[in-house]
Amino acid sequence: MGLFVLRRVGVMILTALCLTFVVFYLTNLDPNLEKLAKTQGNARMSDEQVQTWLSNRGYDRPDYIKYGEWLGVLPGYVIEGADGDIRGRCLRAGVTAEDAPRFCGILQGDWGFSTVFKEDVSKIVMIRLSQTAKLMGMVMLVMVPSALIIGVLAGMREGSRLDRTLSTASIVTTATPEYVSGVLFITIFASSAVGLKWFNGSATSAMENMTFVNFTLPVMTVALYGMGYIARMTRASMTEVMTAQYIRTARLKGVSFRNIVIKHALRNALIAPFTVIMLQFPWLLNGVVIVETLFNFKGFGWTLVQAAGNNDIEMLLGVSVVSVFVVLTTQLISDIGYVFLNPRIRIS
Amino acid sequence: MTHFNSALHPAAYMYAEEERAGKLSRREFMTRATALGLTATAAYGLLGLKAPAAAAGAQMGGTMRIQQNVVAMKDPRTFDWSYLGNVARCWLEYLVEINSDGSMRGMLLEGWEANEDATQYTLHVRPGVTWNNGDAFNADNVVWILNYWCDKAVEGNSMAGRMSSLIDAETGMAREGAIVKLDDMTVQLNLPASDITVMVGMADYPAAVVHPSHDPENMVAQSLGTGPYKLESLEVGVKAVLVRNEGHTWWGHSAEGIGGAYLDRIEFVDYGTDPAAWMAAIESDEVDMLYENVGEFLDIASAIGWEQSDVTTGATLVFRFNQKTEVDGMAPYADVRVRQALSQAVNNGVVLELGYSGRGTEADNHHVAPVHPEYADIGRPTFDPSGTKALLDEAGMGDYEFELITLDDDFNRNSGDAVAAQIRDAGANIKRTIMPGSTFWNDWDKFPFSATEWNHRPLGVQVLALAYRSGEAWNEAAYSNPEFDALLAKAMSLADADARREVMADLETLFRNDAVIIQPFWRKLYRHFRPGVVGAAMHPSFEIHAYKLGFSA
Repeated sequence: MGLFVLRRVGVMILTALCLTFVVFYLTNLDPNLEKLAKTQGNARMSDEQVQTWLSNRGYDRPDYIKYGEWLGVLPGYVIEGADGDIRGRCLRAGVTAEDAPRFCGILQGDWGFSTVFKEDVSKIVMIRLSQTAKLMGMVMLVMVPSALIIGVLAGMREGSRLDRTLSTASIVTTATPEYVSGVLFITIFASSAVGLKWFNGSATSAMENMTFVNFTLPVMTVALYGMGYIARMTRASMTEVMTAQYIRTARLKGVSFRNIVIKHALRNALIAPFTVIMLQFPWLLNGVVIVETLFNFKGFGWTLVQAAGNNDIEMLLGVSVVSVFVVLTTQLISDIGYVFLNPRIRIS
Repeated sequence: MTHFNSALHPAAYMYAEEERAGKLSRREFMTRATALGLTATAAYGLLGLKAPAAAAGAQMGGTMRIQQNVVAMKDPRTFDWSYLGNVARCWLEYLVEINSDGSMRGMLLEGWEANEDATQYTLHVRPGVTWNNGDAFNADNVVWILNYWCDKAVEGNSMAGRMSSLIDAETGMAREGAIVKLDDMTVQLNLPASDITVMVGMADYPAAVVHPSHDPENMVAQSLGTGPYKLESLEVGVKAVLVRNEGHTWWGHSAEGIGGAYLDRIEFVDYGTDPAAWMAAIESDEVDMLYENVGEFLDIASAIGWEQSDVTTGATLVFRFNQKTEVDGMAPYADVRVRQALSQAVNNGVVLELGYSGRGTEADNHHVAPVHPEYADIGRPTFDPSGTKALLDEAGMGDYEFELITLDDDFNRNSGDAVAAQIRDAGANIKRTIMPGSTFWNDWDKFPFSATEWNHRPLGVQVLALAYRSGEAWNEAAYSNPEFDALLAKAMSLADADARREVMADLETLFRNDAVIIQPFWRKLYRHFRPGVVGAAMHPSFEIHAYKLGFSA
């Protein structure tokens, strides 16, 4: 078990290295650097000014050196610019060249500086991730129990009227993308056009003060989409279990239908959905991009859009590291959890 | 500042005559008379009118939430968005201020006078103003800030363009003797030729007055200024929060005719560029006023029950050809015949109707607005779509595929569609590209054919000088014509609008014959706010004067 976890952590680090290098390489392509210079300097810079701007800040050096600096295995640059100012990777406002550390990469706990947000990447990641965590937490709270209930109810008696109704509903919600359901919800429940005005069509105030009124619509928009999918998985798994030999035996023994479902079928039926639910975490992390933009909720997805739109190199790298961590950690949990749910599976 | 008006500027009487004769609109009269150093009261007096009473009293206290994009703060002289000015205006102030009715008044200057040919200005510093670090504001600060603006070497310093008559072309700094401190409270500006734009230049949004110890890197943390508020936090793309600066005595409370600073707290909240999100914010009760409202959303906001404020302006959308940008090794718009062919295919009235729902007035492709004092009516531009194809063939560009790129936001996009559709109808081959802000702004000034939004400026020559003079930083049409530069320089030295109008007629004609731009319309600008909000009237330059805002008692 310990070895298994250790191996997975190793894989995680390797994946993070590969992914961040790919992101690093792409964001450091010449046109992207030019874009960075223009958004940071000013929109009307000439090509020479762009070149000076980049070389003053060390962007014109080979990728592997810059990547090494970001990792913290190579010392950060200190460059005396063409304008006479001394700039360095490790030099922030208020730190002189003498006091600054030589290495300041992710190994030293320094995630870098976001050029868009003008803040430390680690700080932005923490703030925005906590916002998305709020959204994700609420979504999970709504989505998982209701999806399981719907799935189990539908899967108990395959082909019954209840099954057909619930299955149709699940397929409809899963087939409706968030940008369609979100807009519909806003129009129906939040605008003067229809006049219901039960909820808020904007979740900006939910960042500070989460209420039923301002958070219902974004949560429902994400939850409904994922709910149908999990419900379908649960139903499939449930119907399979319900046709198994031991259920038939239990039936023949005269166990009540209620007890069969709750005591015998449920646990076995939940193994497959468990994996699916764990898979929802990475999906949510990026799936919230649309919903966060639509409801103007400034979380992780919104940050990703802003960083990508402005070629904010270190912010994008930070986002990648977090994403790799979330994806692989949830996979690890799902693998370990699987063992507990299904004793037939052995790790290592 | 009434005591400076013992001798009114002679030109003011002349302007008043013109206003009575109908040559000047009241707004133009106010701009020009107050630019010569008259108070608004005195200017109204010349017209035989009483100055309108100040806005009905607002109650002290409250939090105002304003929908506005929140962008990263930077050195004020390099400001490139009115948003920056609106946030900075809470703790940094301006020497002079232009109000929604076009009149100017002194803020950190108590008043000023111009000599008869507008070559010498005397600026009187307002007594009793202090910085929030305790320093007194005096003539030294004014001299310092003027020199700061005149530093042409600083990348993106657009104040240098506004102060060009103070700058020595060789050193790129303020000319020796141009800025003279007469005493602790008086500064004199000596210009080589008449320049009527100096004072209005000091009211523009990059002209925020900073302390001599100003450090652009540290602006946000320091919040060092003369204004009544201080910056509590600024999260790019999210929110900027300003709170009353409790330890600081703001001069405005005791100055006659200023007053205000009612609010305890001002929040600028970013809702992106999609007006639908602004409407959602209104419906969700998350904001109290909008920065601007546009298009079809005007009716929606009014239907919700918010109040609308509008102002007629020289704000516009300009479809400009970049004459230098190369596409596949050649510059498609270098040839005036190509530009002429495309512009004569477009009926500006149609673009106004389709692109901006008729909420403005038709423009004539020369970027001088009827609201400008020196506007010369040279008639409508040629509209001859039937000749377009022939002219393009003559230039050897008959089969060329043009591309019109615009920003993806309500009226930019719609107007662009209307322009491209008309060009297509005239037989030219044109592709339409719409980009989101995040990609558009990276290359926008290099796009061969694209739309630029221009804000209103009080004088017509100002925009021409900023946008079309050879080599200017904001000249994304890459227009360069020595004849135009010479005529413009001549126009800018004439204080008398009638004399200037004659030059302007030639200037406008020359400019339009060069087919530099397609300019479909002048925009009316709108803003919506919650009933009960005071001091939020729409401003021709989108300015929000935080100290005027409040909730009615």
